[in-house]
Amino acid sequence: MEETRTVSAQWELSTYKFRIEGGGLQLMLRGMKEGRFKGVRCHKCGFVYLPAPFYCRKCYIKIHEPVDVDDHGTIMSYTVVMSDIRGNPMEEPQISLMVKLDGCDSWIMGTLKGKDWRDVAIGQRVKIKWAEQRTGTLQDMECFVPAED
Amino acid sequence: MENKVAIVGVNLDSALDIEKSRERLIFDLVRGLMDDLGIEPTDVDTTIFATNDFLVGRTISNVFEDSPAGVYMRDESKVEMDATNAVMYGTMRILSGNYQTALIVSQGLCGHQVSPYLHISYSLNPIYDRQLGLLNELSAAAFQARDFLTKYGFGDDLMHAIAANSLANAALNPRQARQLPDISPQQVSESPYYYEPLRELHCYPPTDGGCAILLASAERAKELTDKPVWILGLGSSMDTYYIVERDLTVAPSATKAAKRAYEMAGISDPAREICFAEIAALFAHQEPILAEALGLMEASDAAEKYQSGETAIDGKLPINPSGGALGGHPIPATGGFRVAEATLQLRGEAGKNQVKDPKRAVVLGQDGICAQQNSVLVLGI
Ligand SMILES: [Zn+2]
Repeated sequence: MEETRTVSAQWELSTYKFRIEGGGLQLMLRGMKEGRFKGVRCHKCGFVYLPAPFYCRKCYIKIHEPVDVDDHGTIMSYTVVMSDIRGNPMEEPQISLMVKLDGCDSWIMGTLKGKDWRDVAIGQRVKIKWAEQRTGTLQDMECFVPAED
Repeated sequence: MENKVAIVGVNLDSALDIEKSRERLIFDLVRGLMDDLGIEPTDVDTTIFATNDFLVGRTISNVFEDSPAGVYMRDESKVEMDATNAVMYGTMRILSGNYQTALIVSQGLCGHQVSPYLHISYSLNPIYDRQLGLLNELSAAAFQARDFLTKYGFGDDLMHAIAANSLANAALNPRQARQLPDISPQQVSESPYYYEPLRELHCYPPTDGGCAILLASAERAKELTDKPVWILGLGSSMDTYYIVERDLTVAPSATKAAKRAYEMAGISDPAREICFAEIAALFAHQEPILAEALGLMEASDAAEKYQSGETAIDGKLPINPSGGALGGHPIPATGGFRVAEATLQLRGEAGKNQVKDPKRAVVLGQDGICAQQNSVLVLGI
């Protein structure tokens, strides 16, 4: 009578359709196709978002003031990806960054190439390496590379 | 909030693989608690589940949990959040005057069912964060750890000391899943890297487990137990999901939740008035960040606090004497475990994990990426 077993079963989900507010992301992607970043500033608190929501999350008002954001920035945090999310070791460690781009308040995530992970530190300067063929997608940011400036 | 709602009974169980079905786990927890208290389902006025549909693999997952919890044809509701929120919900139902007892039930079989860190991946913004593919629970925690260590100039050795403090306590606790006797900071430092600086033993383990907690009004509590543990204050607060807009080295939502809970409990100097803390820190570095938010220490003093033994079971301010979430994280029951462990401590029933004569405790449960949402309870006798 007492029998507890483990069985596998599929949880079939069809493709989700997410209805999204895409204005801020569109603005960002259109800029990226031309090799630059466009964010939105809150006219009340001055916070610059990239990509931007249609309202300021802090002030709770609608925002609509596009601003240029530089493709150079400062490393705010980093991690070296040594395993996948299930804990399996990676063949090549990969450096993930959180970067504060000049002229922006929200940070952006990216990978860093051209540096040994042991030499990375918070505060170092980096810049975006743009893809040669840009299509207006997130893949237009190929990676970050060390910046001299 | 003086002596209005009491915790009158707790039952909890966890393991890396508990080798039970969800149905049997819930039945054993609730039937066991009812037998301890000498009550039947008709003595429970309302039941609140804390359960996570994604992790259960079934939507509206509470509709399958009612019968094994003795809820057949009875009053029931649910939160899709950490179990501390279910404890708050139950407390408020009793405070409304319409209910004399509230049963809290929460469980998660994350040890053998799915990779536990994945549930955060499915909470990510689908059109940006998921497309970039860089954000997940481990990378976010690693960013937070790196920022925390850098801010105060701490080395990885602090992470090893914090983890060893929790894991040593967990090894004394038969209710904890991760059992590593003779654990040392050295052993933590030799565990494999996941996302540097995070190593395996800095992170919570995949865990199966659950808890059942019975709350009662003051009047009903007298009939059910001679050791009531009172809920003296509660508060919760939500930060933004967007970690790129947060300073990850501080937890302002936990600070706000704690302020509300302490005010309700009449506590003005938590570092002196609180005897111990049970904090759902899912990664080693989160413990001092959240302890600071709870007003228990300055995070800048963390190295001294952990290395001097102040946070140990026999220290001046024990933190996670139960072993905390590094000993087990059966999502979303973990905050319920912290409540239940704090209750056992205040009743003097925590066995080898017992803190000396505690009178007041603070409990923190969290949800979301880098502890986005925090719920704080103050308990006392
Ligand atoms: Zn604003």
